This record gives sequence, structure tokens and C-alpha cells, in this order.
Amino acid sequence: MDQIPQILANGVYLGAQYAMIALGLTLIFALMNVLNFAHGQMYVIGGFVTYTIYGAWGIPFVIALAMSCITLAILGALIEKFLFAPVIKKSARDESTMLLAAAIAFLLDAVILLVFGEKQRGVPKLVDGTTILGDYTLVIANDRILICLLAIASIVGFISFMQFSKTGRALRALAQDRVAAQLMGVNVDRYSMIGFALGAMLAGLVGGLLVTITGINLGMGGPTSIKAFMMVMIGGAGVISGAIAGGIILGFLEAAGLALLASYGDITYLLIFVSLMIFLAIRPQGLMGKPWG
Amino acid sequence: MTPLLQVKNVTKKFGGLTANNDVTFDVAEGEILSVIGPNGAGKSTLFKMISSFMPTTSGEVIYKGEKISNNKPHIIAQKGVVRTFQETTIFKSMTVRESVVLAQHLRATATLPGYFFGTKAAHHDEEAFGRSADELLEFLGMSAIKNEQASNLPQGNLRALGIAIGLATDPKVLLLDEPFAGMNHDETTKMVELVRSVRDEKGVTVMLVEHDMPAVMSISDRIVVLNFGEKIAEGTPIEIQNNERVIEAYLGSADDEIGM
Amino acid sequence: MFNNVTSKQWMGLAAFLFAIFVAVPMFIAATGRTDFYFTLTMVALLSIASGGVWLTFYIGRINIGQGAFALAGAYASAVMITKFSFSFWLALPLAGVFSALVAVLIGLPILRLRGVYFAMITLVLTEVVKLTSLALDITNGARGITNIPRPDGLSVFGLTIIPDFGAMENPKLGFYYLACVLMVLAFATLYRIVNSRLGHLCRSMQQNEELASSIGVNISHIRLIVFAISSFFGGIGGAMVASLTQSVYPNTFQVKDSVDFMLNVFLGGLGYVFGPMLGTLVIYFGWDLLFVAKEFQLLIYSTILIILMLILPNGILSLRLKKPGSDVAKAADASGLELKEGK
Repeated sequence: MDQIPQILANGVYLGAQYAMIALGLTLIFALMNVLNFAHGQMYVIGGFVTYTIYGAWGIPFVIALAMSCITLAILGALIEKFLFAPVIKKSARDESTMLLAAAIAFLLDAVILLVFGEKQRGVPKLVDGTTILGDYTLVIANDRILICLLAIASIVGFISFMQFSKTGRALRALAQDRVAAQLMGVNVDRYSMIGFALGAMLAGLVGGLLVTITGINLGMGGPTSIKAFMMVMIGGAGVISGAIAGGIILGFLEAAGLALLASYGDITYLLIFVSLMIFLAIRPQGLMGKPWG
Repeated sequence: MTPLLQVKNVTKKFGGLTANNDVTFDVAEGEILSVIGPNGAGKSTLFKMISSFMPTTSGEVIYKGEKISNNKPHIIAQKGVVRTFQETTIFKSMTVRESVVLAQHLRATATLPGYFFGTKAAHHDEEAFGRSADELLEFLGMSAIKNEQASNLPQGNLRALGIAIGLATDPKVLLLDEPFAGMNHDETTKMVELVRSVRDEKGVTVMLVEHDMPAVMSISDRIVVLNFGEKIAEGTPIEIQNNERVIEAYLGSADDEIGM
Repeated sequence: MFNNVTSKQWMGLAAFLFAIFVAVPMFIAATGRTDFYFTLTMVALLSIASGGVWLTFYIGRINIGQGAFALAGAYASAVMITKFSFSFWLALPLAGVFSALVAVLIGLPILRLRGVYFAMITLVLTEVVKLTSLALDITNGARGITNIPRPDGLSVFGLTIIPDFGAMENPKLGFYYLACVLMVLAFATLYRIVNSRLGHLCRSMQQNEELASSIGVNISHIRLIVFAISSFFGGIGGAMVASLTQSVYPNTFQVKDSVDFMLNVFLGGLGYVFGPMLGTLVIYFGWDLLFVAKEFQLLIYSTILIILMLILPNGILSLRLKKPGSDVAKAADASGLELKEGK
């Protein structure tokens, strides 16, 4: 039972970063009904950009992080404008966009391989030291605390942006009802692009933050996408609160599983998958999603 | 005589909202019964509960002495209570005849593997279904369009196709969801005749939910009126036309609309 | 049973059979490119699994989990052969059955999901099976199962029907023929399903599940049957791949393979029963040919995929007979419309 504080702390840490990944994915889904398979790859690119600028070139972290965001925003905007928008217009199937997304995931993997190589990369710690509380019941590295706080701040920033800015309101209108938004005078094409760019940017931001702790490598893209899908399924697709809830729940489950089930080998994710399936059988729309069908 | 279908104290609540409250009425074999009411009176909800597309909160629907509510739609259809849809819900990429042939599948004598291997029984079924599809389409006056793809049909024919698909299952009770909605006078007249002939010649008991007052008055043997989810009247068209509560309900709702 | 097949279609079938059973081996013998046997055998096996995915598309479900069932089938056959000394010829169908049973178990809860939700959960499945194989003792964890013996001989009443693959002079050719026979069987089965009552019921569900259930179609039952058949194909494909490579590891089939199965199906075209075969051929062969591009292989491959998606949103076979008003083109367009609605 003395593990509980540590599990909770790890849960918060994991949950905050997961929620950010899920937010980007769910935003893109809500706006365009596109399941962005390439989300994990976008995360990886964000990590590599920060690695290159901060780790390899020694330019301050803040600038590197900003560059990760900008790179991914531009990339997201281009992908939306030149790939998704034409395909969505031409073919009315859900499948086509899904396949396009899969192909883009492959493409980004190829680009990452060519530009950044396949080595695992890491960067210097942002801050040193660990915080120890309550007679070693709780040990957290200081850089984790910092990243966690930055992630929480980003989430708060994102939500207030969606809530209060004009762009955010337009995006929400678009997510709720595309046709109605168009009738209300929202420039659908433009805001789809902005939304996609924003979703991609969130992926890049998390990548840039986490490279300071876990490092980054080519192979992290796919598993990240899968985790993001799981969070979105837990919380309900296309719902912001759902993405956050899904991220936090997955974060806590993972933290608890890794701590408590360590002696049984690598079965944490197996259990999470199985319980997710049972959960979805009872509640197909996820926690916060609207019932459908 | 025991009624064919009984709606007994049926209530439906969505959260705090009551869509239907304690609705009770009977449908006799061979009659045409309409359920009417102002917008939001809970007609569609009631309809869905009778066909088991939605569970009841309390109360039950009884068919031939057996409870059929809170079940699965396909089981209700197998028992002989079949609904049509309000929207133009059809099999878009099938032809009219294909749809009607398919809808007879409940009468299949061969098993699925039997069909796979093309047994005698399967061939026999296929021939029989084709023949009765042609007969049914002839009866409905749709022979000319039987090879049209459903998605190419005009609105009026789509509604008829919906009824054809429902009839092909050989139902005892056919539930029609707003069969006259969006139709002009001529189309409505034709549809009224069609529904009547379904009852007269096929012996199918018909229950329908509808807005169109003149059509309802001319077609129905009896009418049930809902208002705010409750039954406020039940009787022959003439009784309903002279019922004060019904007049009040319709005028009342008209007032509301003006008031808004 | 195939009496609705036109003579032109019979001719096409004959030409196809001649091509795969006679022309290809002759071509390979003439050119000496025996490495094509492995590639083409893989194409045949993967197209069987893709055929299963196509069938789930046919009921309006986007299935990105075939890798899971292929992996399950591969492990099932490998375990039966190496740990319980089953004959390959018994283990192969049982592996398919095993995958089908797993599909029923998993399908019961998840087949209620539609559209993107179903797609997402199936994508997760591949990971689940991989993790399961890592966690279990019987599958040897990360080490996998290796040195799986080649298919043994099969004889009935002392009459040898199939010789022992291990004793064969050219087991590659043996595998090629076996894979082709299985592929032909699988697609004949698919063709029959689509053109018999089950196929019609599937089509009704693909177009409108509510209407289908209103006329008495037990949609959850049909979904399970279809998912089980689909996964049976996946299991057979996986078991064959394990036997061909004589090994199976937790990453023999990965999420990427599951996505590839879907790509195969989609590239071939959802409106055509034989689409998955063509799609698999193009994708697998294309990938293989691009091997010369070395580090640019994935880049070129994904770029071509994206371009294909941009110019041919209805799959390769939609090029064929694209005269306006032709039945095939119409059916393809219509199936596109319907699938959109299944969201």
C-alpha cells in the first residue's frame, strides 16, 4: 500500500501527457471525421525537431519546443490542404480518409527514417535532481514534475483557446455541425485546415516535451497512435473532455499496472486492452461520447 | 374477441422527460388504426416501442397474448409485427425486385449452408421468392419499376417500396410510420387506396402514425389521439372529430405555435 | 452451384487458373527467378487473409484486425504441430477454426460498434494477440516458435495424395501450388457466399442495419458468422505463412500488416470479390520490387499509395468497365455510398 503515492504521482504525470496526445487526435476526428493514423508519427517528428535544435545544436529548449510546434502546425496544414481535403471532396467514404491517413503514416515514417535516422536519440535533462517526499514513499525526478506542469498548462491553454477565442469558437461550431457552421458563415475549408494544424501541433508539442525524458526513436510512432486511439475510445471520440478523461484514465491504469503487476511480466497492456473491450461492450460510445446509431 | 395487439400502460422516460405516459389501447384483427397527435406527442416513440426498436420504461406490448416489447426487432418481425420507416429507409443499391425477394427470407426452407451449396430446397426457395415478389409488385402496381435501382426511384415510389419490403415479410400486423408525409393530394389518395387494399385483400392489420388529418379520417376504422405523451381520446373518425379534448389539443398546440 | 456464371466468366477463370498453375511456373523456370516463388506464395496467402477482411467490409465494418487472427492462426498451428505433433493437414484447418472461435469470442462485444469505433478497436486487437503471445508459455514468449517441420505427406488408404514437403526436391514449388489451391478455394467460397443468401443478407446489413432487422434479419448473428468466416481466412493465411517460413514470432504479424490487409482490400476495390487478390498482388509485389530503392523503399511506396488514393478513390478494379451506367461501376458507386452511411 505504500506504493500508492508513487502510483498516483506517476499517473498524473503519464495522464497529463497522454491527454495532450489524445486531444490532438480527437480534435482532428471531431472536425473532419478523420482517424489520423499518422498522429504518432507527428509526435515523433516533434520529438526529433526538439532533439535536433536543443540536443544537437544546443539552442535553448524553449525555442526548440516552439519550432516543434511550428513545424508540425505547418505540416498538418499542408497535409490537410493537399491530401485530406481533396480526398474528402472526391470520395465520400470513411475508408478512403482512413487509408490515406495510413499511407501518410507510412510516408512520415519514411521521412523520419531519411531525415533523422533510426537511432534512439536523447537530450540533456532540463533540470537535475529528484524530489523526495515523506521518507521515500514518493520519489519523482524534477524534470518530470516540470514536464508534467508544462503539459497541464498546455491543456489549460488549449481549452481556454477553444472556449474563448474566435477561432476556437468557430472550430467548436464546425465540430458540432459542419453544415450548420457553414450556414452561419464559418469558412469551413479554412477552419478545417486550422483545426488539423492545431491537432498536429499538439502532437508535436508533446513530442518536444517528452523527448527530454524518454528520448525519441522511429519506432515510437505506431504504439503512440494506438495508445491515442485507446484513450479516445475510453473517453468517447470527438469530445474534448473525453480525450482528457481517457488520457488520465490510461495514465493511471498504466502507472498502477506497471507498479502492481511487475512480478507477472508484461501483462499490464494486455489487461488494459481486455478491460477496454469489456468496457466498450457495455458503453460503446465511451465515457463522454454521445450515443449513436 | 381478444384484440390482436394490446398496448398496456406503456410509459417511456428519457431522463426527466416523459415521452409516453401510461398509454393503453387495443388493435383488433383486420382493422386500420391510426395514432395521431400534435408534434412531440410521442407518436414515434410509441411506434418504436411497439416494434421493439426501443425498450419501454414500463408497461408492455402484447401480441396474440404474448409480450413482445423490450425484445429485439428481428424477433418481433419474425412473429409477424413489421414496421416501415418514416424516412426513405431502403436498400439503396438493390433493385426493387431484389429488395422484395430479400425481404421474404424469413420464409426460407433451406439453411444458409444449403444456399451456399445450392441445394434443391434453395433453388425451390429462390424460384418461389421470385414468383411471389412478382405477384406482390403486380399487386402494388410496381411491376413497371421492378428492375430499377432503389436509389434512382422518385420519392413517392420509395414510400411504396418501403411498404412492399414490409409486406414481403408476410406480416400479420404492419406498422406504417407516416406513410403520407410529404405527399401531394393525388399521391395521398393513391396511398390511402393502397393501404386499404393491403388490409382488404391481404388481410393485414394496419396501424399507422400520421399527421395528415384528411387522410387519417378517410382511412381509419379507429383513431387513438396522443397529446404530450398521453392518450386523450380513442374512437371512430367521427367521434374523434367531435371530441372536445382533441379539438382543444390541436387548437392549443396551434396557440403555442403562435405564441412562440 | 455456379450456374449463374456466364461463359465469359468461365473463360476468364480458366485463363486465370492456367496463368497461376502453368504459365507462372514455366516463366519462373525459364527465367530462373525462383525467388518469385516465395513472393507469389506470400501474395496468395496474404490475399486469403485479405479476402476475409473484404468480407467484413461487405457488412459495412472496417476491419483493421486481421493481423491478430493471422497471428492467432499461425501460433495455433505451430503449437499443434510442434508441441502436440499434429499432422500439418489437420493443424491447418484447426488453426482456421481456432481463429474463428477467437473471433466469435471477441466479436460478441465489439461487433456492436460501428464505423470508426469498430476500426479503432480492431486495430488494437493485433497488439492484444501480440502481447498475449509474449505473455504465454506455450508460445515461447519473445523467442517465438522456430523449426516448425514442413508439411508432412498426406495419404488416404495408402494412396499418397500430397507428398512430404520435407522430402520434396523443390518445396518452394510445393508451397506455391498449395497456396494457389487454397487461394482459389478461398475466393470460390467468397464468391459463393456473396452470391447466395448469406451474401444478400450481408448486403442488406451493409446498406441499412435498421431496415434489415425490421424485416427479421438477425443482424448480430450474421455479423458473428461473417466475422468468424473472415477470421477463419485470416487463421488459414497465418498458419500457412508460419509453415512457409517455418517459424512464428510475436511480430510475425504486426499492426502494419493489419493495415496492409485493409490497404489490399481497398486498393483492389470494395465492390469486387476478387479485388483483394489484385490489391495484395500490387501491394506486396510492388513493395518487393521497390526493394532495389533501399532506404527510399518506404518513401516511394507510401508516395505511390497516396497518389493512388488521390486519383483512384474507388480502387484499381474501378478502372475496369468504367462506362457510365455499367452494372459494375454502379455497384461500386453504390457500395461507396452505403459504406459512408455505416459510420
